[in-house]
Amino acid sequence: MESATSRLLASAIQVSQGAEAKVFKAYLHPCEFASSSTSPSDASDGRTPILLKYRFHKHYRHPTLDTTLTKARVAGEARAIIKCLRHGVNVPGIRMVDTAQGVLGLEWIDGKSIRLLLGGGAEGEDETTEEETEDDSHEIEEEDPFDEYGISEDDAMRMIGTEIAKMHRADIVHGDLTTSNMILRHPSSAKGLQLVLIDFGLAYTSTLAEDKAVDLYVLERAFASTHPASELLVASVLKAYQEHMGKEWLPVSKRLDDVRLRGRKRSMVG
Amino acid sequence: MPGRVRKRSPLKLPERPYIALGLEGSANKLGAGIIRHDKDGSTTVMSNVRHTYITPPGEGFLPRDTAQHHRDWALTVINDALKKAAVSLHEIDCICYTKGPGMGAPLVSVALVARTLSLLYKKPLVGVNHCVGHIEMGRQITGAQNPVVLYVSGGNTQVIAYSQQCYRIFGETLDIAVGNCLDRFARVIDLSNDPSPGYNIEQEAKKGKRLLPLPYATKGMDVSLSGILTSTEAYTTDKRFRPNGDGEDIITPQDLCFSLQETVFAMLVEITERAMAHIGSKEVLIVGGVGCNERLQEMMGIMAKERGGQVFATDERFCIDNGIMIAQAGLLSFRMGFQTPLSKSTCTQRFRTDEVHVAWRA
Repeated sequence: MESATSRLLASAIQVSQGAEAKVFKAYLHPCEFASSSTSPSDASDGRTPILLKYRFHKHYRHPTLDTTLTKARVAGEARAIIKCLRHGVNVPGIRMVDTAQGVLGLEWIDGKSIRLLLGGGAEGEDETTEEETEDDSHEIEEEDPFDEYGISEDDAMRMIGTEIAKMHRADIVHGDLTTSNMILRHPSSAKGLQLVLIDFGLAYTSTLAEDKAVDLYVLERAFASTHPASELLVASVLKAYQEHMGKEWLPVSKRLDDVRLRGRKRSMVG
Repeated sequence: MPGRVRKRSPLKLPERPYIALGLEGSANKLGAGIIRHDKDGSTTVMSNVRHTYITPPGEGFLPRDTAQHHRDWALTVINDALKKAAVSLHEIDCICYTKGPGMGAPLVSVALVARTLSLLYKKPLVGVNHCVGHIEMGRQITGAQNPVVLYVSGGNTQVIAYSQQCYRIFGETLDIAVGNCLDRFARVIDLSNDPSPGYNIEQEAKKGKRLLPLPYATKGMDVSLSGILTSTEAYTTDKRFRPNGDGEDIITPQDLCFSLQETVFAMLVEITERAMAHIGSKEVLIVGGVGCNERLQEMMGIMAKERGGQVFATDERFCIDNGIMIAQAGLLSFRMGFQTPLSKSTCTQRFRTDEVHVAWRA
């Protein structure tokens, strides 16, 4: 039997595919069956796009295991996003959740990822092509892509720091902070200019300074590997982060120094 | 890698055939292998001899006893390898031994043999990283060019990819290795250690039907396995557990083997897939003792196929620790001019895969 979710997926256009999920652009209220949607009705005019994150069936996994995992992950991601929303972190709003089918519907955000704006190339071509990206960045620097957003590069970095601090103060650890997972919402959109954190697939709740420090360390490494000579950028991110963390900054800062020394992983016997 | 021009390998064709002897003894297998690199760039496995220290069911191998086993068998195994290859030690170009990682005492006893042979026959020594040995042998046998490597054995669980003359670790276990997890469970349910506990788990798992819920612990590209072992062990004290299996709603050892395999292998395939998506590779190579497991190969094959790629795996001769892989990796670095002077011919229990300078690849 065809469910509303499968109909929605069938009408959607695939945007990208990661290791775990396919990402689609779809419309919750297409004119043909505007009344049949199972999700809570959206206040928009019906032509506002939404983003569908579809965790497709993995055939290598035992079907029972696959179903349990998909359900838990979709629900977990939705929970982390809701918690962020409650604490005023800029994240995409939730439009629908279908754990059985593995579909999470999120607010569509108009804008570009920080990775693209910094000229880091598309996802999936870092590491091996570091030298090539370095060459590309000279051409891009000719015009500042941030001009379109009416802010400077440094402003954007401060927005990143602020948003991460808000998230960490809510005891949410993102787990995959990279520049591709941050989107600068275009000033022309209804909510105006915002820095939005996306992809909470690896997020979890933790009060530990260690976990937050590792989160920041992952970000530092992501900057270093995709954007050559980005030390100043990271420094402004951390400065804004520090200002917004208040007295929570000190323990995280101490931990971050430790984590930098040892790396995310300890040296192991094997 | 799509859209990339393959760089020229820094490894020149040899001007004459090179022969290397490889000695391996980082765990309970003692191996000696002889490999030849010919002028046309081809590689011949001349001999590959192995002797395994097998403990009674329910027991693991202890460092001291394992080292004793290696000392007892070293001469037999090496002589056997030389005889099968029909070469004498005088014709060999270099002696390669495992520098690490592994168990201390067995490593030391094999290194001692290597040093002695080196002094007796005036042959240069080459210390080899065990993990790099596995990767190089896997690449040689399967012909995989630039794969994502899943290295799974009794002591290691790593997802590795090559980048800029280094095998970088993308993901790994945060606690015990997958082989360790399987072997220790085999000991809990008293499976035989002959030929290997992992093999017997695989056979038992084929008879299992019921998938029991176990923790599923992937953390980004890393996995955690110790909790799964504990949970699986806990089922053996469950009221429904029946070692001999009759009745309704029961848990048999076979079900536990099946559930354990399905869960940990799904985790391994998942982190491998993440690494593949991250670096955009379509080839996977499975190496290490657990790599012989056909269920793991099958699951990896399904994943690779769904991504439009393919999986490379080898059989027990090259998956399980052997001397030939040490000879292969050692000879590659020897041909690049690398030697280990006698004063530096030590062993180390901690030797990470990414510490090795892979001079022979572009």
